[in-house]
Parts: sequence; structure tokens; C-alpha cells
Amino acid sequence: MAGKMIVVTSGKGGVGKTTTVANIGTVLAKKKYSVVMLDADIGLRNLDVVMGLENRIVYNLVDIIEGKCRKQQAMLRDRKLHNLYIIPAAQTREKSAVNPEQMKNLCQELADEFDYVLIDCPAGIEQGFKNAVAGAQTAIVVTTPEVSAIRDADRVIGLLEAGELRDIHLIINRMNHRMVKKGDMMSTEDIISLLAVPLLGVIPESDEVVISTNRGTPLVHDRGSKAGAAFHQIAARLNGEEIALDLEQKVTIMDRVKRFIWS
Amino acid sequence: MLKAIRRFFGEKASSQVARQRMQVVLMHDRMDIAPDIMEALKNDIITVLSRYMEIDRRTIHVDLEQGKNYTALISNVQIKRVYRHSMST
Repeated sequence: MAGKMIVVTSGKGGVGKTTTVANIGTVLAKKKYSVVMLDADIGLRNLDVVMGLENRIVYNLVDIIEGKCRKQQAMLRDRKLHNLYIIPAAQTREKSAVNPEQMKNLCQELADEFDYVLIDCPAGIEQGFKNAVAGAQTAIVVTTPEVSAIRDADRVIGLLEAGELRDIHLIINRMNHRMVKKGDMMSTEDIISLLAVPLLGVIPESDEVVISTNRGTPLVHDRGSKAGAAFHQIAARLNGEEIALDLEQKVTIMDRVKRFIWS
Repeated sequence: MLKAIRRFFGEKASSQVARQRMQVVLMHDRMDIAPDIMEALKNDIITVLSRYMEIDRRTIHVDLEQGKNYTALISNVQIKRVYRHSMST
């Protein structure tokens, strides 16, 4: 029984890779799949704080690879879901402490035990990127509707394709539908036509994302959140469920009232 | 209001500007095809053309040309002889 190995990457930093991994992983775990999230960002780990598990780290990814501990010793179980684990990255090591071959083997071993292996890729296209994508069969490229993020995403897609990874999906993060309507932001259609990669989903720009990371609890635990709902849909699509893409997010009067109350 | 006036006088929406700029930038970025892929492409072109005509293999050139709004594949091949019955079957 082999699980799916999925890398979340972007090229540019700060577009929401770690948030995406945390939320997709949480949704899949809520759907009763066993999930392990692997932080491949050696030296700049963050998945642990986003998941609120920073106080529990004893061993890390590099320790497993160097044989200093068993896999199970480095895995941290989520605070709410017993079938969700993370493997933190080392904070005081360099990306060169690991090579692609070792990552591939580790991912393979994890895929034997888990339904989903989600890999949080570092920004950039150097060694860390090569390590993170080595073990994956599927890639999720995260971008935002900004020129710099889109350009980097295109570069990453090119590199993935050159590396024989052809199962590539796109997530557009921080979409501001109000700005799109005013003609001040590229639309989902614009971005898809530029990048020519199938779309997994669009996440609206939202303050809730910052709030949830402040607390170290993924957004998808919060029922009322729009961005959380987008992550639910994305995870379901990734899981092979057929859910229509609603490109145009409608803002109802209730939303305005809610926004007014919460603001 | 100021923006509405500027639009009225023909200023493009910034999203439109971004899209057009990205079309050009991405085309440039993607142009950077590795030499071995270019070589493989050249060999494939030779193989296909050779089914229909005799060509001078040494003189073939395959290049990418970048225009403002397009990328073109330019190939220059000297034909020695065209086969009368094509071998396409």
C-alpha cells in the first residue's frame, strides 16, 4: 500500500507554501487519511510553528537521515488529530546536510506507512528545492496574483518538467476579488492562461490566515472561514473528489454584515 | 475618481498591463532551452524531413527567434532532391 507523495513549492518565498501544507494536511487527516507533513526547509523551519508544535521538537529530519534517531522518534503528532504527523526540519544545519537520494528513500519509506506524504519545499531553486522534489510524484505550485510570484512559479514549473515531474497543479493564493473587479489585479483566468497548469483552487486573501498562524491552529479547523473553505475544496480535489471550481466568489450581504461585525 | 478620469483618457487597467508584461517575460524565460534538447529537436526535424526529401544534414540550422510578441522557430535546410513518391506510408 503506497501513499501519495506530494511536494508544495513556489520558487518565490512568502506566497503561502507552509500554510498550504498545514491546511491541506489537516483536511486530509480530518477525512481519516493518515498524513505526514515533512518540512524540507532546513535552516528556516516554520511548519512546526504554523502547526503549534514548536515546543515538542526533539529530533528532526536531518537526525533521521543521519541515523541519529528512528523515524518515529522525530515525528510529532498533531494536537487535535491523532492520524496527522509532522517531521520538523533541522534549524541549525545547512541544506547540503541532505541529498536528493536520501530524501527519495525517506519519502518512499514514509509512503509505505502513510496515505499522504506532504513535503514543504523551501523557497528558491537550489539544493533545498532539489532535495524536496526528489521524492515527489505530484507537485503543487503555489503562486499569488503578482508578477514576481507568477514569474517564479513559471520557472519552477519548467524545472519540474525538466526533472520528469509532470503531475503539476496550481494554487493561487491571496486572490482579492474586489481588486480583480476594479481591474487592478490579474484574474484567475489570466494566471491560468499564463502558466498553463491545471488549477487546484483559489484562496481568497484573508486576515484569518494571519490570525490562525498566530495561534498555531490551521485555518481549516475554523468552520466559518472563507479561506478555510477554499482549502477544504482544494484538499478534496487533491483526493480525487469532483468539486466544481467557483471562480467568481460572490460577496453576499451576510458576508458584508459579518465583515462589519468582525472588523 | 482620479483613476476613473485616467481610465477615461485611455490608461490601461494595471491588471491588463501586468498580463501583457508577463506574456513577454515568460516567453523570454522559457526560451532558455538546454543545448541537448535543441540538438534532439534538430535531429527529429532531420528525421521527419528525410522521409520526404533528401537534405543536406550539415547545413541544417535550428534557432529560436524572439520577437516582441512571439517566439518563432527558424530552421534553414538545404534540399538536395525531393522524392517523387513520398514514403509517408
